Amino acid sequence: MTDAYVSGASMIKVDKYYESNAIDLAIAAVSQLEDQLTTKKPDMLFLANAYSESTEEQVLLANKLARTLGYEIPAFRVESGDSSGGSAIYSAYLAVKSGIAKSVLVVGTEKLSDFPTSHLNDIISQNLDEEFSYRSGVVPQAYAAIQMKMYMKEYGVPREYFAEWPYHMHKYASENPFAYLKFPVEKEAILSSQIVSEPLRLFDTAARSDGASAVLITNHEIGKKISETPVKIEGVEMFTSHFDYRQLKAVQGALKPWREFRPDFYEIHDSYSVTAAMILEELGLERGKSLYMLDQIQVNYSGGLKARGYPGGATGVYQVAEGFMQLAGIFKGKRVRDANRGLVISADELGSVAITIGLSR
Amino acid sequence: MRILPPKIWRNKDTHYALSASVCEKCGNVIFPARASCNKCGSFKVKLVKLSGKGTLLSFTKSHQIRTGYEKESPVYFGLIRLDEGIEILAPLVDVDDDPKDGSRVEATIRRLRVDSSNGLIEYGTKFRLIENE
Repeated sequence: MTDAYVSGASMIKVDKYYESNAIDLAIAAVSQLEDQLTTKKPDMLFLANAYSESTEEQVLLANKLARTLGYEIPAFRVESGDSSGGSAIYSAYLAVKSGIAKSVLVVGTEKLSDFPTSHLNDIISQNLDEEFSYRSGVVPQAYAAIQMKMYMKEYGVPREYFAEWPYHMHKYASENPFAYLKFPVEKEAILSSQIVSEPLRLFDTAARSDGASAVLITNHEIGKKISETPVKIEGVEMFTSHFDYRQLKAVQGALKPWREFRPDFYEIHDSYSVTAAMILEELGLERGKSLYMLDQIQVNYSGGLKARGYPGGATGVYQVAEGFMQLAGIFKGKRVRDANRGLVISADELGSVAITIGLSR
Repeated sequence: MRILPPKIWRNKDTHYALSASVCEKCGNVIFPARASCNKCGSFKVKLVKLSGKGTLLSFTKSHQIRTGYEKESPVYFGLIRLDEGIEILAPLVDVDDDPKDGSRVEATIRRLRVDSSNGLIEYGTKFRLIENE
């Protein structure tokens, strides 16, 4: 089988774009790959987007993007909630590995900024089961809040423990020109921020925003032609499970095949501070202490969902683009030391789907 | 129109009777009820009515509002282990102060939301504390 490579990546700053729709943002990201796309037109397009029916009142987005770019190629929208990005990367990987496509354009785009919080909460709650949870008025934040309480009880950690995550994410994001919340914060500000769902506070949640990112996945031959630094995709794994308050089964499952990989850095899907802690502990950090050990691991130098921002289903494409840029030595924010291997974990809101993507240079 | 009669109608067993399915092969309880077992994949399941009684394992007081539920904020959501062994997250009602973990709770039918444009009211299950059992 052919090997697959990330041979180009781009992104726009995660932000509020009231003047642009999801297609406009996608084009802004893709246009930065113009030289590469002119050298080799993609054979397929995968568009990652989670919420366009509700946010844009639009479907058939992949076709619309392909037509806008002047392509008459197979074009698919991949929807898997907030793990849409990772799922689209997986789809492109399969297409190149199989030899069906030599070059695939993956674009993630999402608009979450146009709405008041109550409306956006309603949209994000569509991730829950329809019959009981959605109709009862439950919000996903309530699951995360209870997960956090159970974690605090299990490991005997104080509320202050969770401030470590947003503190570090903001510190990293302050160096990333593409980050939405590009400023450091003090722990006192984190701990006194607005209560979302006790004990969860605003800084424990992801910063909902707009964004678009594009990644080119190619075979080796095209990778050499269009990139000085093609990054090999060592593999992609995906695992689906039920939501579980006490463990992230999907993350466990998707990490299993990577035991021998030893990445130098990670980009993980930190929907909530407690999610970040639970993922880090699946990566091997001590349970109940992981957030005190952030200087021992190179994780989310982008700033994560917390501070780079959380553009819904586009997030996973950002993560892979950031991984590529770290390995190619062109990331504009905080650089990883000795970057040879990176692992991306793309997941949905509550971590019942996880996709792991291994990258190496 | 946000509240559609067919959607309320087809959810009546879930919300008014707390119907679940039980797998005849592995005994797993599935809520909301489905025609397949989410543990072993069997399609041999039967519908049962849950008792609606359970124990509060944990809770959160949420300030997050969803369109249509504005009047409810802030709302307590409880993680409840039903006596049949399954865990569900559901709104708690008639709770003024933080409830105690381990409290006994029971299902009750309450108003969920009102459609502002045509006045349709959606009812469904919430849970309240049981004083004496």
